[in-house]
Amino acid sequence: MSVLDIDEKSLKHGVLGLVIALVEVIRDALRLQAMKRMEGGSLTDEEVERLGQALMDLDIAIEGIKEEQGIIESVRSVRDGLDDIVADALDRMINPERWKEEAEQRA
Amino acid sequence: MQCSDKTEVTPRAEAVEEEGRYLYGVADSGEKVSLGEIGIGGKEVYAIPYRDIGAVVHNCPAQPYRSDDQEVVEAWVMTHQKVVDAACERCGTVLPLSFDTIIKGETESSAERNVQDWLKQEYEGLKSKIEKVRGKAEYGVQVFWNPKVIVENLTRTSPEIGKLDEEIRLKPRGLAYMYRQRLEKLIKREMESKADECFKDFYTRIRKHADDIRVEKTKKAEAGLQMIMNLSCLIYKDRYTELGEELDKINQSEGFSVRFTGPWPPYSFVRGT
Repeated sequence: MSVLDIDEKSLKHGVLGLVIALVEVIRDALRLQAMKRMEGGSLTDEEVERLGQALMDLDIAIEGIKEEQGIIESVRSVRDGLDDIVADALDRMINPERWKEEAEQRA
Repeated sequence: MQCSDKTEVTPRAEAVEEEGRYLYGVADSGEKVSLGEIGIGGKEVYAIPYRDIGAVVHNCPAQPYRSDDQEVVEAWVMTHQKVVDAACERCGTVLPLSFDTIIKGETESSAERNVQDWLKQEYEGLKSKIEKVRGKAEYGVQVFWNPKVIVENLTRTSPEIGKLDEEIRLKPRGLAYMYRQRLEKLIKREMESKADECFKDFYTRIRKHADDIRVEKTKKAEAGLQMIMNLSCLIYKDRYTELGEELDKINQSEGFSVRFTGPWPPYSFVRGT
């Protein structure tokens, strides 16, 4: 039977980095929704103030965790990876030149 | 060299050795020339002619060049590049092929024969590509901007952004946060349309001096810069100074910088049609 040799520290960094990256993505989505409501005018100034404070506290908490755990880099790399995937997919969807290239590769 | 059944069962190193042809490019010459032992691994580089064109090759095993050592791979690519340059000097126009293009032999037909068949099959296409790039070279044009400088300029020139920037200072904490998000979004949108505008402007200006242009994917840049356009331009060899002058003007604009590289063999104009 083989034994999986896992470096505990790098495992922690990896998993924690992934979790925080996902929390950041959710935070971004929340922020976008908050913005839409604010711009749509369905919120009072007081509500916007409360929303803004909550989001700001979330930002501070996330930054704190990242610094404490030393996972700033691993979070960034997860997010860069996600960005690259999205950029790549978009590039392929909207650039006719890439369609041609792909068709040629398949031929 | 034919590969017999016996060698397939017990392949000996020497037998497999010459079973492929590594292709550097296709030259605009049907001459049967040797360029000497300048190939990857010191191999002899020579031409396999078909009619008035010829494949520039060396003999190699029928397997790709692979190494985990980055430096080794870089040296190979450099040699590939040098051979293409040497072939250009000798034969005039050469369609460069990318690193690690290998045609292998089969039991019923030798590698040399397969190269000739390939030239024969692709003759029309290769010939028209040679016509297209004759007397021309490829240049890389990459335009960068410094987002900080561009944002500063926008804040100064856009009344909408300037006003929002003012307002934020007077708001309580939570509201200021939300307004700052809004400001960032606004700046992002303005930056995108600015990048679009610049792309169109620069493209038209560069297009005038190039015979053909390929728009390449932009890459990540260093030192806080962002690449906003990445072009491969096919240019008549005696006309690159005109493009250079145009690029100089772009380079002078505040917040912009240009990287102009070349001449390269016309790699980008060989792939596809």
